[in-house]
Amino acid sequence: MSIEGIFREGFVTTSLDTVINWTRTGSLWPVTFGLACCAIEMMHSGMARYDLDRFGIIFRASPRQSDLMVVAGTLTNKMAPAMRRVYDQLAEPRWVVSMGSCANGGGYYHYSYSVVRGCDRIVPVDVYVPGCPPTAEALLYGLLQLQNKIKRTSTIARR
Amino acid sequence: MSAKLERLSQILRIVFDGRLHSLAEDRGEVTIEVSAEDYLEVARTLRDHAELRFEQLMDICGVDYSTYGNAAREPGRRFATVLHLLSIEHNWRLRLRVFSADDDFPVLDSVCELWPSANWQEREAFDLCGIMYSGHPDLRRILTDYGFVGHPLRKDFPVSGYTEMRYDDEAGRLVYQPVTIEPRENTPRVVREAGYGDAGHV
Repeated sequence: MSIEGIFREGFVTTSLDTVINWTRTGSLWPVTFGLACCAIEMMHSGMARYDLDRFGIIFRASPRQSDLMVVAGTLTNKMAPAMRRVYDQLAEPRWVVSMGSCANGGGYYHYSYSVVRGCDRIVPVDVYVPGCPPTAEALLYGLLQLQNKIKRTSTIARR
Repeated sequence: MSAKLERLSQILRIVFDGRLHSLAEDRGEVTIEVSAEDYLEVARTLRDHAELRFEQLMDICGVDYSTYGNAAREPGRRFATVLHLLSIEHNWRLRLRVFSADDDFPVLDSVCELWPSANWQEREAFDLCGIMYSGHPDLRRILTDYGFVGHPLRKDFPVSGYTEMRYDDEAGRLVYQPVTIEPRENTPRVVREAGYGDAGHV
């Protein structure tokens, strides 16, 4: 983005992709979707100390208003259809962050009869955040990595 | 053992004369065992008898004794239902254990009519251990997935189960498929020296 002459001429020049990615990274709205103890850590990262609002990340109560889902916790077989439905209801473009060992690959419950061995068997995942549970900082780092990933995409100029 | 538990044991012996298979007192708790035929009447008496008055049902557990103690097992001693009762009036507790007669199709009378809180507890025991409760108003699974096959807390149920779930792109929905991972060896290996834990052992 160029700010030369912004004060005299009153306009800036940039590429459309840059603007699109800037708006997308600046308003990542995750759907409020917690499954287990990881959700507590997710709440921590939303609270005053780490304050996701600083990054324009605001939890929404409806998947229709969201473009990000943080799978925070153990995904069981019984919950998986509901979780897939929430993902399907997300408006495009949409991203998924898998948070914690259980969502990444089953974790502690990998050999269980009732747990999905990784939420990437159900939905496509963009960023995996390791930990059991990951700290609020770790989730924040994962979300920043997702922002970097979004910044690499080019919607108009296909490269 | 306290005088109070002694009195409870005496009352139980008098009231259920001949119907008690066993009465055990251990660590300040009383456990009685009755046969499946007597179960419902015994439970009713435990609730209504003025000297007993177990008006509160704390818990119902299903137990699979099939590999218990690595010992040979008599027929009709595989599935037990354990009730934990509390009398607020007398301030004492009791554990009641009943074995279902048939190992292949364990059935027991439901105590929902005596204690309404038994409803979900019996559903859980049915779901996880496969014990049927005749007279239960709504004996559905309560914890496992809809359409789940098997009873996970039975000792012959593999830990990893028989099926796993994934999203099928062509079908556009979640599907169950046969389990793809190798079962894990999870028998605890305990290596102990002779005399381990004895006084003076180094």
